[in-house]
Amino acid sequence: MNLKKSFLLAISLALIFLAAWEIYLRSTMKSVMVIDDNQHLWAVQRHRVQDLTKDDVILTGSSRVLFNVQLDVWEQKVGRRPLQLANVGSSPLPVFHDLVNNTDFSGTILVGVSPGLFFSTTFPQAMPWEWPQSRVDHYHNRTYAQRSNHWLSMPLQKSFYFISAEEDSGDDSVDLKAIVDRQTWGTRAIDSFPTTGNFGDIEADRNLRMTQLCATDTANARTIKNFWMAIMGGESSRPPDINGTTNFFLQDLEKFTARGGRIILLRSPSTGPIRAKENERLPRTIAWDSLVIKTKAPAYHFEDYPGLSGFDCPEWSHLSGPDADRFTAALVDQMIADGVLQTNK
Amino acid sequence: MLFNSLTFFVFLAVVLALYYSNILNWTNKKRMLLLASYVFYGFWNPPLVILLWISTVVDWTAAKQLFKPDMSAGRRKAWLMLSLCVNLGFLAFFKYGDFLLENFVSLVNVLGMEFQAQPMDIILPMGISFYTFQTMSYTIDVYKREIEPARTFLDFALYVTFFPQLVAGPIVRAKNLITQFYEEKRATAEQFYWGGFLLTLGLFQKVVLADSLLSGTADYVFEQKEVLTTIDAWAGTLAFSGQIFFDFAGYSTCAIGIALMLGIILPDNFRYPYASIGFSDLWRRWHISLSSWLRDYLYIPLGGNRHGITRMYVALMLTMLLGGLWHGAAWTFVIWGALHGLYLVLERIFKKFISIKIGTVTGIALALLTYFLVNISWVFFRAREFSTAKQLLGSMFFMDTDGKELLNYFEIFKVGIIILGLFICHWIMRNTSVKDVAQKQNPLVLGVFWAVMVFLICIAQGTGEQFIYFQF
Repeated sequence: MNLKKSFLLAISLALIFLAAWEIYLRSTMKSVMVIDDNQHLWAVQRHRVQDLTKDDVILTGSSRVLFNVQLDVWEQKVGRRPLQLANVGSSPLPVFHDLVNNTDFSGTILVGVSPGLFFSTTFPQAMPWEWPQSRVDHYHNRTYAQRSNHWLSMPLQKSFYFISAEEDSGDDSVDLKAIVDRQTWGTRAIDSFPTTGNFGDIEADRNLRMTQLCATDTANARTIKNFWMAIMGGESSRPPDINGTTNFFLQDLEKFTARGGRIILLRSPSTGPIRAKENERLPRTIAWDSLVIKTKAPAYHFEDYPGLSGFDCPEWSHLSGPDADRFTAALVDQMIADGVLQTNK
Repeated sequence: MLFNSLTFFVFLAVVLALYYSNILNWTNKKRMLLLASYVFYGFWNPPLVILLWISTVVDWTAAKQLFKPDMSAGRRKAWLMLSLCVNLGFLAFFKYGDFLLENFVSLVNVLGMEFQAQPMDIILPMGISFYTFQTMSYTIDVYKREIEPARTFLDFALYVTFFPQLVAGPIVRAKNLITQFYEEKRATAEQFYWGGFLLTLGLFQKVVLADSLLSGTADYVFEQKEVLTTIDAWAGTLAFSGQIFFDFAGYSTCAIGIALMLGIILPDNFRYPYASIGFSDLWRRWHISLSSWLRDYLYIPLGGNRHGITRMYVALMLTMLLGGLWHGAAWTFVIWGALHGLYLVLERIFKKFISIKIGTVTGIALALLTYFLVNISWVFFRAREFSTAKQLLGSMFFMDTDGKELLNYFEIFKVGIIILGLFICHWIMRNTSVKDVAQKQNPLVLGVFWAVMVFLICIAQGTGEQFIYFQF
């Protein structure tokens, strides 16, 4: 048995196979995304909360805060980079609850209010709650091995497309499991629910921008629109729990303000049928005005400011990269003008 | 730390570099391995290393005392009891604490007393069932004067903590491992490369076959609350049977390979169990280090086959019931153990009256029958609740005619092909070994096979899912 020969051949061939696979992926991938927005990436940002001061801002909310608030623009205008803790498809309440109860942070928390998610539920097993809560739990329970794995994987994730497994085996994941799971034959037990694919590229500090493809290719945007309509029109969509969610939030808010913390409420733009559905199910009077009155917090609804409105969301719910830059600049300018935000420049 | 993680590969590279450098003598190399083993364990939960230390110190001290020639029988028994109480006490508290409390509450409620208790939510220390069994075997062997105590505390501490097999076995006997630490060990070039091949093979079994190809189907089926069609129920159960084999055998293969890269030889833990002909054969092939432990330290002390047939059956059932409980603190595991006990008893009764000449056809038929029965037991092993097991068994045996179609044709085909391949592979390999087969191969063929495994491991990467047996 000449194992040395076998070993050298194995290493050489494996490198050739991997190089071929990488080249193939680079030639076909729609996204420039190489970093996975997983629980480990989130936990790294959450860990940074302990170093923040009263002058810092933490961003919480759902995907609209992730897409629409651009950290570079914010930092340029304010002189400090905010910390991005928003999560896609999530209620901001579990993260806010964690920040209030498990940290002594007393700066500013911007809370994104996407009505369908903010007022969705406080039920622990419901998706909008369970998903962000799992990240909070991961942060508190993560092992040193998980931390070091993430730390070691970051340079690899940034360099190679083939190392881009998504946490939820997303539609664009290129790991073996996701590829195999996407295979179907025949019509038996086929899940016909539309999927979105990845349409945002994230950086190490979780600054996210819409992909160029989604912003410019209407066919790509259409698949995402179909997904929104399936979610919002589905029979399985639960009725919102406005009182339960509001009361839960107010309890935490009281504790947070008592120690000197402040919040800012933000309602980001939506357009087309999504806007119509939101207005139908959770009209502004119920899902915004009432919350603003109860919280007595500085609040920014895109309809109220010319600089924050008039955007066209390519897939009805999020802003393209350049629009997100303009939106962030207008938002920050407005907050500075209102004395809600101080600039350190 | 998981074998299928980047951290482990950096860790292993550092350990190997230090181990094969000339800056350390053998004693210091062993110290380095011991420290590395604590780091390996501590990367998961540092405070729980203390349990390892306590177990090490108690068993080291107990064995030293037990070996004193002038020690009275009573005092020897007391030292043995101390060791057993500490180790079993750890197991009872950390692994069975909540289970015992739950059952106590249920019992007093049944007796009409109203009592509720808060769950203790105890963290289960990784691999506690493995290292406690390993250290207990040492103390018991010294008590029985079958072995001498380890020469130095360092040798013993390394035996308890040796990182390749610390958290999921194989459960190695002192006579097979401690003695290897007495003299300097270096892997030969062939051992080193072969260790690397075994590490790759183990990772391939775990990352590619178990996690990427089978776990999704098994999880999907076992998490269902609805009644399924027969084909879906069987696909899920077969997927789990493959997943648990590849997961656990994969870990053992990695452990054996890593140890071999250090020049240390660990025993086989699996010998193609799904081609077993009967259950006595199965338990000589599945988790061999545990089944031999249970045989030597439980079945034989309970009387074994020395006190008549009835006593033997009782010993067998008790051994398998406790073996089931060893795997997890739930009644579903006890039922799994009971089923295997029952299979073993029935097999012995059957063999008393009927003698079958094993040829190829009868062998395959009996192996398939054994595998079929093993799958029934896996339903209880994997199901979190009896209701799930009952529902799934109902679906598997056509008791529910209008079940839900859950898996698409590709998924069913995928499971079918892998399981068929697994069975054929086990049958062909029944009386041989990977090494024997590899030795007969052209090095180029072996190299291509090795490269494909590395490539698939790299593109599978995934999220580093934990090995199933870590929780036991």
